[in-house]
Amino acid sequence: MDSLDARDLLGLEGMAAAEIQAILDRARSLKTSCRGDELNGRVVANIFFENSTRTRCSFEVAAVQLGAHPLNLSATGSSAAKGESLVDTANNIEAMGVDALVVRTGASGGAALVAKASGIPVINAGDGRHEHPTQALLDLFVLQERLGSLEGRRVAIVGDILNSRVARSNLHGLLAMGASVVLVGPPTLLDSSFESIHPTGGNATVEVSHDLDGVLEGVDAVMMLRIQRERASGGAISSDYRRLYGLTAQRARRMRPEQLILHPGPVNRGVEMDASVLDDLDKNAVLEQVTAGVLVRKAVLMRAIPV
Amino acid sequence: MTSLLIRSGRVIDPATKRDEVADVLVRDGQVTEIGPSIRPEGGIRELDASGCMVTPGLVDPHVHLREPGQESKETIATGTASAAAGGFTTVCCMPNTQPALDDPQVLEFVRLKALETAACRVFSVAAATLGRKGEQIAPIGALTRSGAVGFSDDGDVIADARMMRMVMRTCAEHDRVFMQHAQEPTLTEGASMNEGPVASRLGLRGWPAIAEELIVERDVRLAAETGCRYHVQHVSSGGTVEILRKARAAGLPVSGEASPHHLLLTDEACDGYDTNAKMNPPLRTRADMEALRAGVADGTIDILATDHAPHTVSDKSVDFDSAAFGIVGLECALALYEQALVGTGLIDWPRLIALLSIEPARLVGLEQTGIGRLEVGLPADITVIDPNADWTIDPEQFSSKGRNCPFAGWNVNTQVVATILGGDMVHRGARALVEA
Repeated sequence: MDSLDARDLLGLEGMAAAEIQAILDRARSLKTSCRGDELNGRVVANIFFENSTRTRCSFEVAAVQLGAHPLNLSATGSSAAKGESLVDTANNIEAMGVDALVVRTGASGGAALVAKASGIPVINAGDGRHEHPTQALLDLFVLQERLGSLEGRRVAIVGDILNSRVARSNLHGLLAMGASVVLVGPPTLLDSSFESIHPTGGNATVEVSHDLDGVLEGVDAVMMLRIQRERASGGAISSDYRRLYGLTAQRARRMRPEQLILHPGPVNRGVEMDASVLDDLDKNAVLEQVTAGVLVRKAVLMRAIPV
Repeated sequence: MTSLLIRSGRVIDPATKRDEVADVLVRDGQVTEIGPSIRPEGGIRELDASGCMVTPGLVDPHVHLREPGQESKETIATGTASAAAGGFTTVCCMPNTQPALDDPQVLEFVRLKALETAACRVFSVAAATLGRKGEQIAPIGALTRSGAVGFSDDGDVIADARMMRMVMRTCAEHDRVFMQHAQEPTLTEGASMNEGPVASRLGLRGWPAIAEELIVERDVRLAAETGCRYHVQHVSSGGTVEILRKARAAGLPVSGEASPHHLLLTDEACDGYDTNAKMNPPLRTRADMEALRAGVADGTIDILATDHAPHTVSDKSVDFDSAAFGIVGLECALALYEQALVGTGLIDWPRLIALLSIEPARLVGLEQTGIGRLEVGLPADITVIDPNADWTIDPEQFSSKGRNCPFAGWNVNTQVVATILGGDMVHRGARALVEA
């Protein structure tokens, strides 16, 4: 845990189950025992080159509740979205003496690029289509709270897999924790290449399906992804998307009570999830995910900045 | 002009099928004698080539010299110095300069600049459409008269079928080859590496092999219709090799070239977002790489070309999507071709030399001038190659301005001992001891 690389959080790909569990365990303990001065006097820079409401706020709250000062820098839409200035900006912020960088960028691999150039811990808050590790960690946290061990469980991730960093991080995280993953989406947004993006060992498997109804029955949880019109280019989403891949009220009624519904938010109501399903807080864990997000990000900040 | 006697090398000239140990005598810029134990009158400089091959000066029909317009990446001086260091005495430079090579005056600039600064022969492949925009056909006839040896919008495809047909008809009329950078652009927009599991894992947009195959399939039909000589640049997909194989069997005037990187690397090299593995067309799968090698072995692919593409450090030290495509290739190309094709037993040395000399010379219609050949009475463009000299590729030592090379640190065993251009030694490797 002492080397800088071990304090970065760039993705869940390649992360061992024990490492993931350590973060989740710390998040769980913070639920009951957070003193509020764990990171007293520390500064955490949130550098967001892409729009974000909940992830940025969640990191900000996490920092404040640990006694750290969040420094928020958003540079969306400017030329700073380019990779080169991404590194320049990060280097400048680092030179001011901050303790950790939380980075969101539209560039796949952008967080690793910053980490390579930087002498302080870097936390990936989403890099292009690549990974969004804290989102997956909070999803794993909620799944463990509800289901206990994830070993042998089966989770469906549904939607625009091709363009989703949430899907990739969850895929790696779930497999590492022993759960099998079924990726579900239209052929325009999911192909068979995803079956082999994670080196499989053990019993956990990855399946690709284009048939939500065929998958729904046999899973312990379903993660609905947001349709990202900003990333899915060129008319890939057809008008029958909701009918085929939406979590409609009708589909939700067919689900057993113990089957969990997750969504990273923000939800496009009536597209990937019907409003009635979203508003039924007994059926979905969307707000639990938001709460877990702060806990997990606190754990990740404490891992990055050991005291 | 000084004289030179190249002693006791294995002299290989694929055009005449010569392959024997002999001496080569060079006087006044020409090869004047090839034979056993030449004893010239008077004192003469000698180059001991025992254990080495003495071959025609190598020809690369696809390099980017970046001049005019992008001199921070490369110049005609540095690019040709790099070529000479790699054993090449002739290169064909691509038209994606600024301005593009779409006007006789720009070709004249390149010709004069090369006369003044180049360390090897430079011929221009001119743009087929104005500004390489694919909208207005370039003055192909005038450019041919100004020395263009071929036409291409390299860097970009000619996607529009009507324009492609007009360009092919015109190239056929002027007996010039058209070289296609083949990809259907609607399938590659925003893409930065091969479509497949690695791209899916890295979250990068995939550039599918079918994009190349669709254009080549179409173009082969157009070549058959127009009679144009058609050449696929840097073939990356096994499917393209198959299309070319069938077309050549049917007697169509089509060809393809292979680059060192497509013969040796796969899309796995992009892992970790290594921007030195970002190529256009992209590195593909092991199956594609092996199909390409098999295409070289059975003669479907009979041209090797580096697509030498120098970039500045800052062009590459950005995120993968923003990084420039391409790598420098000239100075390690020969050693890499050897590793991919001769070391693996797919072809022998004389065939490799043919793919690097007479075949590319024929492609661009230069074989009549003696380029790509090593014969008495022809200009002395000669490369001396030691096939048993281990070295480690270090881009910091390159004469090119570019350092963008994914082969840094590779151990290879073929070294250029000397590059001789019109009788002048323009590059001398470590073991090239010349005695008076």
